[in-house]
Amino acid sequence: MTKQDYSSDKIQGGSGLGNQWTPILWLVWIFFLIAGIVGVVLRMTHGHNAAGYGSYVPWGLWIGVYFLGVGISGGSFILGGLGYLFGVEGFSKSSDLRCAIVLSLAAILPAFLGVWLDLGRMDRLMNIIVHPSFTSMMAFNAWMYNIFMVVAVLCWFLSFKQKTSWLKPLLTLGMFFSIVFPSQSGVFFEAVRTNEFWRSPLLSMLFFVSAITLGAGSLLFVRAATAPKSSSRADKAYLDSAFRVLRATILIGLIVYVVFEFAEFSITFWNPGVYSPNTEYLLFGGYWMVFWVLHLGVGVVAPLILLASRSRGAWFLGSLLSIVGFGAARLCILVPGQVVGQIPGLAEAFQDPRLSYSYHITAMEYLVALLMISVAMTIFYIGAKLNQLVESRY
Amino acid sequence: MKKVSEIMERREFILAGGLIGAGAVAAGAVIVKDRMATPSKDPTGEKTVRNLMALKDLKPQHNEDDHIRMQRELATAMSKPVEKRRWIMVIDLRKCVGCQACTIGCVAENKLPPGVVYRPVIQRETGEFPNVQLHFLPRPCMHCENPSCVPVCPVKATWKRPDGVVVIDYDKCIGCRYCLNACPYGARTSDFGRNYTSNEAQGAPEGKDRPISGAPAPWEGLPSNEYGKSWNRKDHGSPVGNARKCHFCLHRLENGLLPICVTTCIGRATYFGDSNDQDSMVVELVTRNNVQTLLPHWDNKPKCYYIV
Repeated sequence: MTKQDYSSDKIQGGSGLGNQWTPILWLVWIFFLIAGIVGVVLRMTHGHNAAGYGSYVPWGLWIGVYFLGVGISGGSFILGGLGYLFGVEGFSKSSDLRCAIVLSLAAILPAFLGVWLDLGRMDRLMNIIVHPSFTSMMAFNAWMYNIFMVVAVLCWFLSFKQKTSWLKPLLTLGMFFSIVFPSQSGVFFEAVRTNEFWRSPLLSMLFFVSAITLGAGSLLFVRAATAPKSSSRADKAYLDSAFRVLRATILIGLIVYVVFEFAEFSITFWNPGVYSPNTEYLLFGGYWMVFWVLHLGVGVVAPLILLASRSRGAWFLGSLLSIVGFGAARLCILVPGQVVGQIPGLAEAFQDPRLSYSYHITAMEYLVALLMISVAMTIFYIGAKLNQLVESRY
Repeated sequence: MKKVSEIMERREFILAGGLIGAGAVAAGAVIVKDRMATPSKDPTGEKTVRNLMALKDLKPQHNEDDHIRMQRELATAMSKPVEKRRWIMVIDLRKCVGCQACTIGCVAENKLPPGVVYRPVIQRETGEFPNVQLHFLPRPCMHCENPSCVPVCPVKATWKRPDGVVVIDYDKCIGCRYCLNACPYGARTSDFGRNYTSNEAQGAPEGKDRPISGAPAPWEGLPSNEYGKSWNRKDHGSPVGNARKCHFCLHRLENGLLPICVTTCIGRATYFGDSNDQDSMVVELVTRNNVQTLLPHWDNKPKCYYIV
């Protein structure tokens, strides 16, 4: 491979890990990693008994974080890919594309870690690849993610080459997957045909819109957090163009998500014949704080205010809050869909802590979720360093 | 921003289209393949015929005990190949007294750990004092004709047998709990690996049946015989981590015995038999007009009927 095979637009894309955020990010990473390791030790020594989920609420926080990671992965890839293909200012360099690909992989790999730890038989993880049943959305998604990751890695390799006719086709294929798998995450729930709360075609749209918004939010966050301390005026203007595009995407995404969400829930209010105990639990019951405070307050209203300002610092914070808010939004779909049993009195018929229609996240679950975040940070850091290393050698 | 013609060259465009098209076709093909009804992998035909000696030569008698009749009909059903049988359960709610003998019998028969239950009895109180009434609803697996739990399994670990029993392969199940969410009856529970005695008798002197330092008592390590195999939960062995559910006591049927919930029912409220046998007791019962199924609107077509 000759020197000319590599792109010359080093670091300018915003992957230079050396600004004022670095010490804070290191501290966060160390804290999350140590806490996460404690969580994994608890998971391994106590099994699932240290978790809050059971047989009637079978999925908990890790599945929520898993779908958050999938959303970030798909969204960042599609935005990075579209920006690169269409030559959008702030995304047109191959280093920008690599940043998006690395973020995409960094988000999806720890998502699998969470699912793996959630399995009752961790030793049989590979059964889903080796003996899949494609009538199940879980198997279909697992295969799709794996193919996507292969495509993403190939795109990353090819992005270093200046003359290749395979990068754009593979990038298009990767973007196709990036559209399909976040929306299919909605189908993952919709496919449970016996669950009134989940059986809504809007879920696919909600997951897709949230993926695009999450991708924009996380791209803005990482590009701001990793922007080089000293760069030329032109580089700053270039980065600012990216920020403006991402900011607009987040703003539109948040509004569209809330409009879809309103459309979903308003049926319950405007049709007197429809009574949904799940929706009531979400909006006015045990989950009201997660919905109104975390999802709408922290995740929508606060980012809208922050992103409406002109301060780049406010945009940075707004993007972070939108990610946190979508984490809560995932739980707002996941948990209320499980806490209402269809046969009244079932939970009381045979008393056991695992046979309850309530779910409270335990410390062990939070700690493992922190590990997932720290693993994501590790993968992104290694990927960004690798980007720099290969770019700087040529 | 680039012009449209600059985004991709013709060759790249064709490549991209080809890759997406090939991916879509491959995805469609595997989904259609798995959706299509495939022949059962369960053994069928003559090798599934059981010539059970018990009650074989007993002639039907007037006013005979329900259990004797069902036992006899069971032997008759087992003398047919598996694909010719269709097991169903009928529960007469008017007779159920809520004693929970079926629940306990099932726990004992299948050596169920804490938090795993195949047949709870739901209790409901109606009316106002002094006009109150208690209603009891035993809830086994419904062994649906159109089970919602089967297609969601990502590893083909659960399926419907030719005789209508929905089963789980404990050696395949990965414990993702998707099927638990898909069952509207809450009939599946996960074995989280707990034991009754793990945290009992801490500090007590060690002995034959006395657990030491948090370890379960030795009797908890005895194997269960579900699906006619020996399952030992020691050292995280299956079915620990798996989804578990009622299987109509297939291991007992193979030996000419009725499911344990039927034999332990003190009110003679639970009936079991082959719905393909038009002279059977269960067919006699389900053809009455006071028979219902649970949550029929989901179109699961449950094969557990309630007489109300």
